[in-house]
Parts: sequence; structure tokens; C-alpha cells
Amino acid sequence: MTRFGRILQVLVDHDVDFILIGGVAATAHGAARLTQDIDVVYSRERENLERLAAALAPYEPYPRGAPPGLPFLWDAETLAHGLNFTLVTTLGAIDLLGEVTGGGSYEDLRPHTLLLDVFSVRCRVLDLPRLIEVKRAAGRPKDFEAIAELEAILSVRE
Amino acid sequence: MDIEDFGIPRDPVIEHYKKDVDRTLIRENLKLSVEERLVKLEEHLEFAEELRRAGKRARATPS
Repeated sequence: MTRFGRILQVLVDHDVDFILIGGVAATAHGAARLTQDIDVVYSRERENLERLAAALAPYEPYPRGAPPGLPFLWDAETLAHGLNFTLVTTLGAIDLLGEVTGGGSYEDLRPHTLLLDVFSVRCRVLDLPRLIEVKRAAGRPKDFEAIAELEAILSVRE
Repeated sequence: MDIEDFGIPRDPVIEHYKKDVDRTLIRENLKLSVEERLVKLEEHLEFAEELRRAGKRARATPS
């Protein structure tokens, strides 16, 4: 099971620049749907890659669904040479996204975030309208119900 | 507020799905703090995991 709160604490404790998106962000906004992994968009600045690598290293990141025993080295170089990583860790499943369809990079999304005080840390979460736009841009039929719920939250919460 | 208030056009497919959204669950969630919502998510996942384990045990036990 993914320990969402602990993952957020670990990232914040290491000063990682990231934005919470996806299903956990939807939960933060009030969605009732369940999600099993945590999705974050991270800054691709070199120093941030170092911090991100150090933050997750104790939790044994490994490509999710890959056969065991692959020569996967978790460090800033690996992050620099890739972009989006779907990982399993001892804290649970985490997707690290350098860019998202329809949303762009960390820097593109940052103006569309809210500061969230949760589990004794402060982190950034994508705001609801932008989260809807990003999910729409992904164009996945499996997201249709989730998008409908997010749009309903907009009308219910005011 | 409506999606169009944020400059996002309505999507007829999503509008169709919206009819089935359970707004009572949303209203209940909105009464909670963000942290309470995330804790609830973890609890639901833990429950689902326990159900999976129970199902696995049941399938492994001859009836």
C-alpha cells in the first residue's frame, strides 16, 4: 500500500521541488475515487535531481512492473537521462513526471498550484481547474469518470 | 462555479458522465480537511488490500 503522507514528508524534508498531481491531488480537492499511486511533477533543475535522488534512495526505487534484477541505478544521472519514471518503492508506488501532456513542466505548472499544509509539511498541489485541463489533455477514456467528478467538485464546492 | 468560469469549454462526453457523479460523497469529503481526505484514502486502500488478501486465502482453502 502506498503511504502518501510519508512520501510527501520525505520529498519536503529533502527540499525537493515538486507538484502533486493526479489521483492524490484529486483526493486533496475532495474526490471520492480511489487511487493506488502518487503522481508528482518534479523540477528538472540539476540540484533538484540530486535532492530527489537522495530523498528516495533509502526506499529502493525500481521501475514498476519490470522484472527483478535489471541493472537499474537510482541516482541523479538516471533522472537526468530520463523524464518520466513509474516506480515502486518501499513506501509504495510513485510516478515521477518531468513533463505532463497538456501541462508541461514543473515551471509551467507552478503558477497554477496551491500550497497545501498536510502531514506536518507544506507542499504544492495543482489547482482544480488546471488538474481538469491536464486530465482532459491526456485524453484517456479511463479518466472520463474522474474528470466528471472533478468538474462536479467545482460546482459543489462554491 | 462552473468549468466555463475558468475558460474551459464544456465537453459533451464529460457532461454525459457527470450525470452519474455521486455528489453526496463529494459534499461529505468537502467537510473534511485535506489531511483527513488523504488519511481516508489510505484507510480505504488498506481495507481493499485486506479484502484482496482474504480473497486469496479463501481461494487457497478447499471448501
